[in-house]
Amino acid sequence: MRFFTTLGIMFYAAVIIIIGLALIVFSLNLLLPQDINNLFIYAQGNQNSRVIIGLSGALLILISFSFAQVILGKFQREKTIAFATSSGQVTISLSAVEDLIRRLAGIIPEVKELRPNVVANKKGIIVDMRVVLRSEANIPELTSRLQDITKSKIQEVLGLEEQIIIRIHVAKIAHDEKDNHRKKEFEKDDRSTIPFSGYGRL
Amino acid sequence: MNRDDSTNELGVLRIHKNVVSSISSIAATEIEGVKRVGKDFKSGLLELAGHKFSSAIKVEISKNEEVRVEIPLIIKYGYNIPEVAKGVQENVRQALEKMSSLSIKDINVNVQGIERG
Repeated sequence: MRFFTTLGIMFYAAVIIIIGLALIVFSLNLLLPQDINNLFIYAQGNQNSRVIIGLSGALLILISFSFAQVILGKFQREKTIAFATSSGQVTISLSAVEDLIRRLAGIIPEVKELRPNVVANKKGIIVDMRVVLRSEANIPELTSRLQDITKSKIQEVLGLEEQIIIRIHVAKIAHDEKDNHRKKEFEKDDRSTIPFSGYGRL
Repeated sequence: MNRDDSTNELGVLRIHKNVVSSISSIAATEIEGVKRVGKDFKSGLLELAGHKFSSAIKVEISKNEEVRVEIPLIIKYGYNIPEVAKGVQENVRQALEKMSSLSIKDINVNVQGIERG
């Protein structure tokens, strides 16, 4: 399969290079529109060349479809974690694992928002997390705790003993709205307790 | 092949793929930890069109009358996925064998997502 994928990539690279070269040649005035026209007229006039061109077109379409299927199939295969049981195969969608990790945001109060991206490859399961933390959080302690919890939760729920790599990216430290609200209320109260001193009368 | 045929002296008994799909769906949702059967593009479209019993469960019946079932599942949060999947496979196999006497080859489970129970 790898041989065909390489062949396909080389084929597409060759086609794109040929198109690029043709455009450069055309822009340098080395190829006149008349030459192109003559070539097309010659190709159209000859029955054999028309058949060859038609077959080449059909072959190109077929190659494109099969190549697209190979690529899409590869992507689809990589989007699941699979294991076999006595009754058949069990595949776990990586988006299901992402759902599971997203639920962890509810467990840890310091985490305001959590966006996971899970990839499964030969190395194991790689989890990239983009987190928004609340302002009072101790980042090293919290991220280490989050890594431990995520790892143990994935192992517990999936029951797999594959290597799990967890990368955390702290994207933002958010101010807690509750705190802000309290502060505003406090300021409001402060202002309301100042006695009205009235306007000075002369 | 759209259905499983078996002939006896009185006539032919045909079991449609949808029957296998329905049995599998009911048996799968009986298991603790299963939230619901998942969806695919086709079943989503059919549901939009008002088709009530559209299921994303794929059923294949081979020439030698072996049945292969593929079940997409949404699992409840907090449950062990392999245990739930194994429970589903066993329950679906039992239900199909009991109700249809079909020969079951594979019951493949595809966990599509996790939702709060």
